[in-house]
Amino acid sequence: MSKFSKDISKDEKKLIRQMFWRSFTLYSAVTPAKQGASGFEYSMLPFINKFYKKEQDKKDAMVRQMSYFNTNLAMAPFVMGVTASMEKQNSESDDFNAESINAIKTSLMGPLAGIGDSIFWGVLRVIAAGIAISLAKNGNIAAPIIFLLLFNIPVQLVRWYGGQLGYTLGSNYIGELYEKGLINILTKAASIVGLMMVGAMTSNMVKFDLKWNMVIGGKTILKSQEMLNQIFIGLLPLAITLLCFWLLKKKNVSINWLILGTIVVSIVLALMGIV
Amino acid sequence: MYEAFAVAIVVFLTVGGQELLGFTMLGRPIVIGPLIGLLLGDVKTGLMIGASLETIFMGIVNIGGASAAEPGLASALAVAFAIMMHGGLGVALPLAIPLGIIGLQIKTLIYVAVVGPFASKFDSMAEKGNEKGIVRLHFGLWTLQWFIYALIPFFAMLFGSEATQSVLKMIPTIIVHGLTVAGNVLPAVGMAMLMKILWDKNISSFYFLGFLIVAYLKMPLIAVAVMGTIIAILVAQRDYQLHNFEQKIAAKPAAVTTNTTETKDEQENDDFFS
Repeated sequence: MSKFSKDISKDEKKLIRQMFWRSFTLYSAVTPAKQGASGFEYSMLPFINKFYKKEQDKKDAMVRQMSYFNTNLAMAPFVMGVTASMEKQNSESDDFNAESINAIKTSLMGPLAGIGDSIFWGVLRVIAAGIAISLAKNGNIAAPIIFLLLFNIPVQLVRWYGGQLGYTLGSNYIGELYEKGLINILTKAASIVGLMMVGAMTSNMVKFDLKWNMVIGGKTILKSQEMLNQIFIGLLPLAITLLCFWLLKKKNVSINWLILGTIVVSIVLALMGIV
Repeated sequence: MYEAFAVAIVVFLTVGGQELLGFTMLGRPIVIGPLIGLLLGDVKTGLMIGASLETIFMGIVNIGGASAAEPGLASALAVAFAIMMHGGLGVALPLAIPLGIIGLQIKTLIYVAVVGPFASKFDSMAEKGNEKGIVRLHFGLWTLQWFIYALIPFFAMLFGSEATQSVLKMIPTIIVHGLTVAGNVLPAVGMAMLMKILWDKNISSFYFLGFLIVAYLKMPLIAVAVMGTIIAILVAQRDYQLHNFEQKIAAKPAAVTTNTTETKDEQENDDFFS
């Protein structure tokens, strides 16, 4: 990473650090109409104040950066870095098209939100939570701290270096990744880890045992759970999970109905003495 | 009174705090559970119920403002009630699910009705170059909305625990057993939601591989994560090679039409491929 940041001046590095800290508050005042606009503005203010000397230019930049903004938080500093580098170019040259700043910003936030959500929310958080849950179930008090560290160390590193990378490479970098088609490879690799973890957690966390046994004349002739285990361990939890997935994806059943249905069915099965 | 304050402050600092500190996951059940436990004097119960609620709410994340429930408020109240009534997951679960849904509705209401109207105020302040005003409003709105939100657990704890307790006493044990069963099955819903994000026909077999190695080999989750990473690196390497190869093939015919001053060597190559 250091080879990219060589040509940034000391002053600019300080601005990027300020941006990093301010970007934590991106969604502090999130609104339906403009999402994280105020947080984006807040993170951009150090740059705007530094780059623009004329009062009117400063106001224009502030209006520009108060536009709709919504992306994954881990990816936000990268977008901010790119935007800030473009604001600098705009302040230095007369013929720079200021509208392109928002165009690039808007085109970056969509795909980056998708990548960030699936990698950090879908995979990293799931891994961190999965490990922490198994620790907590064994009574380990450090579980929540481990959860927060496992999730936040990678995320904060990406945020820290993402800002510098975005600022140095400007708008070329993400375009290059796209042109080379490397985004798809990255997303696929992350999804493989995620899916394997979800499979592992299905086995670890979804529990469903049959209590009902076939009894004839006071003698138990068939223990249903034992029989099922001989066919395949965890057959019922796996089937239930796949059923939920199918209902969610193909039948568009809402999550609230699915949760409610699970509770009702469990109680009914308990009343019938099956589980 | 102490309990009400404790739970309200935890909700303010974790559920609200993670919005101020960049979704750092402070407001997840696995964090809130033990924290409430610590303040109410039963860390073990808080830890256990926090872990169970985390598995159930695992699939629920706030992506782009869209979510199915707000797990923070639900976990805080459910854990607090469970500790005060000396109950386990059987007490916490029937409270947590509806509370999560109600919590989300209230959160959305505040988001739309309280914070929403200020979007235009931000715009007019930017036009005037009112930097200080923007910063003040940015943090002021955060404080306002999460203060309002934290009032809910405060009053719920103040008035609710006795009322909830008397209702819970009327529930027969077979229903409580059914709810415990539901608590063990509900993670399936969370897993299904994650699968909706990650599932792709080409890589779906890895889901079953993950299931298999835990069911039969009893591998711990961290080992599965490392194994998954190794497989992912191998697949990515192969994809990258394939991708480069495809690009090379795709680039060749283009060279024939655009580049008229090819070297002899290139021409030979083109002839070979055509």
